[in-house]
Amino acid sequence: MSVTSSRGGVGRRGLLKAGFVVGAAQLASPFVLRARAADSIKIGLDNPLTGTYAAPGKNELVGCQLAIEQINAKGGILGRNVELIVEDSTSGDAGTAVQKARKLIDGDKVDFLLGNVNSALALAMAQVSNEKKILHVVPGGHTDAVTGASCHWNVFRVCNTTQMEAAAVASTLVKAYGKKWYYITPDYAYGHTLESGLVKAGAALGGARAGGDLTPLGTVDFSSYLINAQSANPDVILFLTQGDDMVNALKQAVQFGLDKKLHLAGAQQELEALEGLPPEARIGTWVMEWYWKRPGVPHVDEFVDIIKKRTGRVPTARTWFGFVSVWTCALAAAKAKSLDAVAMAKALQGLELPPEIGLMPNAPFYRAGQNQLIGDLYVGNAQASGDAPDDLFKVTDIVKGVDIASSVEESGCKMTWPA
Amino acid sequence: MTQLIFFNVLNGLIVGAFYALMALGLSLILNLSGVINFAHGGFLALGAYLAYTLMPYTGFWGALIVAPILTAFVGLAVERVMIRPLYGRDPLYGLLLTFGLAYIFEDVTRLIWGAQSVPFQVPGWLTTPLSNQFFFLTGYRVFMILIVAVAVGGLFFVLTYSRLGMRIRAGTRDLDTVSTLGVNVRVLRSLNFGIGIYIAGLAGVLAAGLLGLSPTIGSMLIMPSFVAIIVGGLGSLLGTLLGGLLIGLASGLTAVFFPSATEAVIYVMMGLVLLVRPRGLLGEEGRVH
Repeated sequence: MSVTSSRGGVGRRGLLKAGFVVGAAQLASPFVLRARAADSIKIGLDNPLTGTYAAPGKNELVGCQLAIEQINAKGGILGRNVELIVEDSTSGDAGTAVQKARKLIDGDKVDFLLGNVNSALALAMAQVSNEKKILHVVPGGHTDAVTGASCHWNVFRVCNTTQMEAAAVASTLVKAYGKKWYYITPDYAYGHTLESGLVKAGAALGGARAGGDLTPLGTVDFSSYLINAQSANPDVILFLTQGDDMVNALKQAVQFGLDKKLHLAGAQQELEALEGLPPEARIGTWVMEWYWKRPGVPHVDEFVDIIKKRTGRVPTARTWFGFVSVWTCALAAAKAKSLDAVAMAKALQGLELPPEIGLMPNAPFYRAGQNQLIGDLYVGNAQASGDAPDDLFKVTDIVKGVDIASSVEESGCKMTWPA
Repeated sequence: MTQLIFFNVLNGLIVGAFYALMALGLSLILNLSGVINFAHGGFLALGAYLAYTLMPYTGFWGALIVAPILTAFVGLAVERVMIRPLYGRDPLYGLLLTFGLAYIFEDVTRLIWGAQSVPFQVPGWLTTPLSNQFFFLTGYRVFMILIVAVAVGGLFFVLTYSRLGMRIRAGTRDLDTVSTLGVNVRVLRSLNFGIGIYIAGLAGVLAAGLLGLSPTIGSMLIMPSFVAIIVGGLGSLLGTLLGGLLIGLASGLTAVFFPSATEAVIYVMMGLVLLVRPRGLLGEEGRVH
């Protein structure tokens, strides 16, 4: 079909025609898929593929895809083939995330819902999944409420709570770098709970909050916040930002020479952010929730090799989150011998992940009454370069999640099961 | 406290100068062609990523020169193929087209270079603070201000004294008359668009040295440029410069007293200007149709 008008340029009609064809093609494709996969089990992933969390979102997707293939190779879920349906939730628009969740549940009739990287979006999706009674796994949205005050019987979480991350890193920071901390905190659910977790964990060790700034999600220029931080004269500046915001903030801090005057640190660090930083800005003390270089831990090397073959890069914590999330669905159905959401959620209470899925020194398990996965946390320092090209983090301490997680009562989770 | 305010004012002006640079290209295109170029951020990102790709071969300085030129060529092609047929139509067509293009640019960038930030490294000697006290004055930021000054100065020189500049200025006021006088308006618009996109590419390379380079860099930086134009006034390049500096300043001052509102304050400012003086501070009456 030609889209060229008689004038030689692209005419409006041509463009419209082209747009119409593209639109029609998109409308048509789901029917084709549906016809082919009528009796397969469907897992809906509603996660960011665009915006500031596109990179972690895509890595979670890679992990999900690997798990789907492994499950299908082992005979699927309850003998049926498994299919992953992916929707872009955007990075920060709760309205879109909820709309996509409803589309997956009502339109695609998924059996499981996964998502979201953004805590606020994860909470919004959890309301929908709870209303529809669908088993929902949150791979990587950290705010405490997901498995705390806003917990639901059907919502399980793979990544850590912000409270656990704060508790894991606090003692190292106080011991090694000082007690006065300044906070650069993203202004939404995740940032708020992470900061309050750190303030609490720091105070328990005699630390004090020297000040802090709330920064809008998607901030590009951190210079004014860094000026504020420096003038408060803290021992440590804590960067609680995530994704692109983390890269922007750290890069500017190092350009300002702040790393030479005080210590830069934070709770959660991700390989995605370290890879996006120039070597001189790969610094500071952090927590990684999973790390690829763990000699001696069974099956980790195999997992690293498979992901490397597919993507050319090592897996990150996000890849592992996605991988575990999909496997959680399969484990739940297998143990419950049913696709009934209540039966599966009950089957997951206290369930320990097998080593080839857990991929940690101490087997992670879903804590009963809270639906929170409790695994190991890796405390250490970012490094400009390591033994391998992607080895940008030196683990100094492995903290057992079970030792630092607040109790189910402290988490504020009061679960009500359907009658 | 006084020092904190002083630092933030100075820092705000630096950031504002950068906003102004982005906004200048946007303003040029808007003034002559009446196209509200929402894809400006996409061109900015393209310039930055081209520089990132070129750097292993050309070094930072080579990339700083070549990448904006390549971006301008892409801009010329886009103008020729997609934007030219929309001249003379309702500005909404151009807006919708470039709005869609912005998404396409972002996704194509993601497809080619990946969703993850890439490490964009500038020469080490540029990224160290010039003085211990004024730690936010790094060599790179001073260099950026110099580039902004040169770009603004160069643009004013071209617009004021060159034949091309005079035609662009005349075309901004009355394109039909300029056309009747025998000036090839198509070429004029193309060149003007090319210059605007060149500035976007330049701003992109500079931004990548300062910030992380990810596909969202364009969409994150584009809004302040629009605000700078509206505050400064349509039709006035001097106004755009002023608008950029003012929103940088407002954002810097807000950071002292109410840090979480640094982003919101520029939109509040835009709202106030639209209420009190809809044509913008230095804008010409009647430019807003």
